[in-house]
Amino acid sequence: MARFEAGMESMVEVFIYETTTLLEQLDQILIKTESNNGFGDEDINEIFRIMHTIKGSSAMMGLSNMSALAHSMEDMFFIIREEKPYILSIGTLYDLVFTASDLLKAEVEIAQDEDYTPADFSEHIEKIESFVAILKEGSETNPEQLLTTSLEDSEIETSTHNSNIISVRVFFDDDSEMENLRSLLLIKKIKDDCLELEYEPSDIETNPDSSRIIVDNGFIIRFKPLNDESFIFKAIEDSVSVKSYEVIEDNLAEALPDYIDLEPTAEEENIAIDIEKSETISNQTKTKVETTKDAESKDDAKEKIDIPKSADQINNLLSKTQGSRGKQNLISVNLNKLDELLDMVGEIVITEAMVTSSADLKGLELDSFHKSARQLRKLTDELQDIVMSIRMVPLSGVFNKMRRVVRDMKVKLNKDVNLVFEGGETEVDKGVIDNLNDPLMHMVRNSMDHGIEDDPQKRIKLGKPEKGTVTLSAYNASGEVIIVVADDGAGIDSERVLEKAKKNGLLTKPESEYTNKEIFNMIMQPGFSTNEQVTEFSGRGVGMDVVRKNIEKIGGTVSVDSKDGVGTSFIVKIPLSLAIVGGIEISVGTSIFTIPINSVKESFKLNQNQLIRDVSGEEMVMIRGKCYPLIRLYEYYGLTPKSTDVFDGMVILVEGGGKLACLLADELIGEQQVVVKPFSPLFNRYNVKQNGMAGCTILGDGSITIILDINNIIHEQ
Amino acid sequence: MNEELYNELVAQFNTDGGEILMFTVDRVLYGVEIQYITEIIGIQPITIVPRVPSYIKGVINIRGKVVPVINVRNRFSIPEIPYDDRTCIIVVELGEIVVGLIVDRVREVITVKPSEISSTPDNNQNSSNQFIRSIIESNDEIKLLLDVRKLVME
Repeated sequence: MARFEAGMESMVEVFIYETTTLLEQLDQILIKTESNNGFGDEDINEIFRIMHTIKGSSAMMGLSNMSALAHSMEDMFFIIREEKPYILSIGTLYDLVFTASDLLKAEVEIAQDEDYTPADFSEHIEKIESFVAILKEGSETNPEQLLTTSLEDSEIETSTHNSNIISVRVFFDDDSEMENLRSLLLIKKIKDDCLELEYEPSDIETNPDSSRIIVDNGFIIRFKPLNDESFIFKAIEDSVSVKSYEVIEDNLAEALPDYIDLEPTAEEENIAIDIEKSETISNQTKTKVETTKDAESKDDAKEKIDIPKSADQINNLLSKTQGSRGKQNLISVNLNKLDELLDMVGEIVITEAMVTSSADLKGLELDSFHKSARQLRKLTDELQDIVMSIRMVPLSGVFNKMRRVVRDMKVKLNKDVNLVFEGGETEVDKGVIDNLNDPLMHMVRNSMDHGIEDDPQKRIKLGKPEKGTVTLSAYNASGEVIIVVADDGAGIDSERVLEKAKKNGLLTKPESEYTNKEIFNMIMQPGFSTNEQVTEFSGRGVGMDVVRKNIEKIGGTVSVDSKDGVGTSFIVKIPLSLAIVGGIEISVGTSIFTIPINSVKESFKLNQNQLIRDVSGEEMVMIRGKCYPLIRLYEYYGLTPKSTDVFDGMVILVEGGGKLACLLADELIGEQQVVVKPFSPLFNRYNVKQNGMAGCTILGDGSITIILDINNIIHEQ
Repeated sequence: MNEELYNELVAQFNTDGGEILMFTVDRVLYGVEIQYITEIIGIQPITIVPRVPSYIKGVINIRGKVVPVINVRNRFSIPEIPYDDRTCIIVVELGEIVVGLIVDRVREVITVKPSEISSTPDNNQNSSNQFIRSIIESNDEIKLLLDVRKLVME
């Protein structure tokens, strides 16, 4: 950070957070409007505002190159906003803005580095300026044509005029009778063309007396037209027995909620948390969370505020913004603070166990102590749940980033796909989310590049829609989150995969013994890539094995499923949280190990007739007619057990990565919530993870146990 | 701690001298600069970490931190002896890596003058000598100054 002036350091984080958030927002607007084929006024204003803010804040940070680029963009949107020029090539405009957004994003990322040198944006600025020149010319020659196109998306107003509510007073023919029913018919007729609609008297359906009011005062309709108000006027005119109507001026339009912008979902170092959750925690632990109150006013950007107060403030704002973009009951908190909080809670959980299971208490009868201890246990459990839930972030943020990936691929590959999201509201730990971006991006790219057929005719022949679909879905299942990236493309050609694997020497058993599933999963082995030709997006040799590695790094697994001609799906299973897991303690000799509870299926003592040996002398355990390999942990880790007799020990059936196996341990000690502590970097070069050790944890009595990574133990066999 | 920074610290020690903690392993006197030492503790219950080199005895719990421990005897290929009440763990910190070194006895801290430091003969490559950085001769005693980084990280 050497390059920022003294005194600016505290601002850097805010700047990076704010700019990244704004650029995310920009991308969202661009992608939304690109699919609608045009900007609404509001979008133009929004982009203008974003660029203006970035210009100002980057100038303040002394990043003149970013400021200049943002300035040129601001100019461009100023002209678009003010002169509404006719834009011949909207594609060029999008390319310019997307590129600028990428350049800025890249710049923000590296601005913090020690050896940062400002990138030169002058080339892109020139491009923008020449485009602006064309725009200006265009606006002089075609002053009447507007850029704004009619949009189907109901949330985008087409013009400022239309966004006002119009009030109309309708009178019916003098002796038409049943005015209330006629009014009702009229409302039904225009309902579909209105965004908002209300009328007076409002009880025409139920109150026969309303007829009289209509005769006296006329029937008043207030509406916000969907497209053009003239449609609605026409509809009123054409209605049977309408005598006359008049447009009345009232100040209802002013009562329309002002759009109040709150920072949306947080990214980068900050995390948005639900006020409700943090309120609960502030009640329970009296924790004050320092919040970044208003990223825009930098001077007092970081100040401590009481959460209930900020909640009130936000609620006030919310009540004003009803009807505008929702989901704004949020504050931003530095992620480091949440990490610290989680660590602290982890320590409390351990200490609590340390106190209640203290050796000093053995043999004592302490009724009230145990009662209080139970109460404490309950509270620490709740505290832990709340802290974990604060760290939970919905997947929709990561999903939305994929829109951009798809958009870029669309342009480069000239292949159009629908991107469908399901279950974006599923929440996972922030630490997990941060590591999901790259693997997901790779999988989406892979689906678009290799999954969806190059030739749309092929799809039509198979009776599939011309346009391919990539579906991103997420859901919870037994302590895990499952994310599926599915395409409806050609599917994986298993013969080609097998051939390729053979060529690359990846086969470990005769070809005929491979199941389809095993073959599909081969594409995630290092050094495998079926595409003969390297494209820009995938097939660079890094391939899917990187996806697998990244997912495994966060304790998850990936598998592939595919059906010829129907499509391929990547199934990612990740743990809900990284930090605290339920574990079962087992002993092997003098060592104690912890098995994550979601890997454990059952534990039991072995019967004589359950143990069988296969031809090569491998031990198997028969459970309810199924055979599972037996792994003697003392053998696996070279330890000295209490007894080498299988029937003395405890057998634990575990599952990892879709496979089951039995572990043999000496004894089952108990079950406990444990805080995962990573191994010292000293162990990095010994591949402890591959050797089935996920981390360690400190138990209540201060002793350390090693948490087993069942997945790796099973797969090493 | 990267090599560059470590070499800088070594060069500084060679020119300015400094304080070293002395300890014995198999009755031989060794020294380690106190700038790397965070604390000295008695022997602790050690949790075995399987499938790592045998000189890494496992991990210990130092106030909630999980710290790996190295037995210097194993590192020097000297036969192990049972731990007793004078066995010590010297906790050293090298950048992000914190490690405990198990030694037989800990002696006092002495100040070393630059003139007392001499380099080791290069031709010695046997297992205990490769971790010796320099020889210190003071008060008619020979002390072997450990190359901590090499001992821990190579």
